Amino acid sequence: MSEATGIAEKADLGGTTRRRNAGWLRWLGYAVGAAVLIYLPFVLAERAIFGWRLTNMQLLNVGLAQMNLTLIAIMGAVSLNYLTGCAGLVSIGHAAFFAVGAMAAAATGVQLGLPFAAALVAAVIAGALAGVLAGLPSLRVRGLYFVLSTMALHFIVVFLFSEYQYAAHNVIGITFPEADFFGFALNSSLRWYFFLLPIVVVVCILFRNTLKRREGRAMLAMRDNELAASSAGIDVRVLRLKAFALSSAIAALAGALQAYFLTTVSTELYSLNLAIQFIAMIIIGGMGSVAGGVVGALFWLLIPSVLSGFAAEFSGAGHPIAKIIVESRPQVVNLIFGVLVALILIFAPAGIVGGARTLRRWIAARFARERRS
Amino acid sequence: MLPQFIVTGLTIGSIYGLVALGFAVIYKATHVFNFAQGMLMVCGAYLAFTATSQLALPFPLALLFVLVAAATLGVVIQFLFIRPLSGQPLLPVIMITIAVSIILKALIEIIYGVSPRPLSTPLPSGVLIIGSVRLSLLHVTAAVTSWVCMIGFFAFFRFTKLGLLMRATADSHEAAILSGVSVHRINAVAWAIGTTLAVIGGVFLGQMQLASVELEHIGLLALPAVVIGGLQSIPGAIFGGLLVGLIEQLASGYISPKARDIFIYIPLLLLLLVRPWGVFGTKEQGRV
Repeated sequence: MSEATGIAEKADLGGTTRRRNAGWLRWLGYAVGAAVLIYLPFVLAERAIFGWRLTNMQLLNVGLAQMNLTLIAIMGAVSLNYLTGCAGLVSIGHAAFFAVGAMAAAATGVQLGLPFAAALVAAVIAGALAGVLAGLPSLRVRGLYFVLSTMALHFIVVFLFSEYQYAAHNVIGITFPEADFFGFALNSSLRWYFFLLPIVVVVCILFRNTLKRREGRAMLAMRDNELAASSAGIDVRVLRLKAFALSSAIAALAGALQAYFLTTVSTELYSLNLAIQFIAMIIIGGMGSVAGGVVGALFWLLIPSVLSGFAAEFSGAGHPIAKIIVESRPQVVNLIFGVLVALILIFAPAGIVGGARTLRRWIAARFARERRS
Repeated sequence: MLPQFIVTGLTIGSIYGLVALGFAVIYKATHVFNFAQGMLMVCGAYLAFTATSQLALPFPLALLFVLVAAATLGVVIQFLFIRPLSGQPLLPVIMITIAVSIILKALIEIIYGVSPRPLSTPLPSGVLIIGSVRLSLLHVTAAVTSWVCMIGFFAFFRFTKLGLLMRATADSHEAAILSGVSVHRINAVAWAIGTTLAVIGGVFLGQMQLASVELEHIGLLALPAVVIGGLQSIPGAIFGGLLVGLIEQLASGYISPKARDIFIYIPLLLLLLVRPWGVFGTKEQGRV
């Protein structure tokens, strides 16, 4: 797949006029995107667009708090996609880094009473350190054995978290104070949204730029063929640890933000299931690109709310399927996700983003042929 | 206390060994690392519930029902999910087994509800007291059944034609195809066997506790068991199962039930660093 994109990019280098055009269009796209992202929370909060009232269903039953959780999940998915999709290190221990971030934030922000910003910095540092530790087995074991080492790591971190929670806090969980970012009190969903959005954008740009630089290219080479990459002079060991450190630092940051947003977190949150959810997100979205992580996380958080919206709509009519959905909604959601992941793995291994790219290229080829004839 | 823990650990460990054996069979034949093994075990407990409580079948028929349903389930999973992905890299294959386990869990919870169900199979339930050791007859039956299954499987693998074909396929897919072996059919058989072994383990664990999706966590202990023993090795899987059962009983008896995972996964991590191919396994060579 990476080879194909490489060729497509090379082919693009020829058409300079088209490129200039595309650049102008691209900036317009960015501006529209930014405007939508800035206006979106007001739509969701007031349930209206430019004064037009919208029904719950027209808004896909999505609330602002859910949007914030999605933003946090995007950070998790994008960082896992960097590690798994780009560096080729399959990890089912991503939830553990969320736990590490929450633990670091609890130790600094709750126990020591340091400000929110300091707790976030602590989470990033703790995450990077934990990431290097977690990456150490990757120097020795490959493939399946490495997957298992991340799973072992997950259970060890969750054990440490529960010990820490019971020793330093209470059985219910760790309670976080209201976050206050240099005087900007995060006391409403709207404020959280405008705090999280820039962070997510910066994180996405960070990963995107890293991938375009020499190191990112080296990492893709390492993923595709490790022996070839190392014989081309790439130190795969250092590269692996760096990828791990960056990915888990961002995951820990997301974990700390999630903990502050939820105000109370306990050890049950960081189950193996959470780690599996992140893997499912990047598979649905598409492996090996930043957009894949974003799309996957959006899908993952939108489907449950859309489904419950539909169920509420139909349950009045007494439809038998609606009855099943209302009675066991989380199970139906899981069923849909399980089937969706299986279908994507079998029929569209590049995920939604990969599928969209193939479609776009196909349409472009179609147009080019018509223009020629 | 020590002999008690050892005896309980070994009997429970026999069940893990059985589940781990099912896992190793699937891995050896199809090179699929099956994360759904824990959920297949849960299916066993619920199949037993359907057979004995819902259909109220007599015990021999119920047993037949469970075994046939298990083998069918394995073949269906292989046909629908595993076959389309044969020859794919590691992550898609692992992920599809995870997807299978998510689907099975959702289906079980939709069909049976989320609350655990008690099993009422006529398996023996008394207690034997030998010296200071209390031995539940159910545990003994479980251990004996596990060992009979393991020996039966061994004989099958060693002495039958199908077993020979399976060994040949595990050895080299290409060579087996060239010799006219239908690899897909052999893989289906491997999935049927692996699922059946997991399901038998699930029936016993469901009887010891309750039939619930929480059993999956116990079923997942088959993963460290099989890796400690060595992924490619069938005696290794049984050894790993016994070891995990022992560690679990000793850790939860002497330290705390919560410490169980730690004492299983830290040795696993260390073993992966020192000898990733397991105690009984053979080293895999990397090739360009």
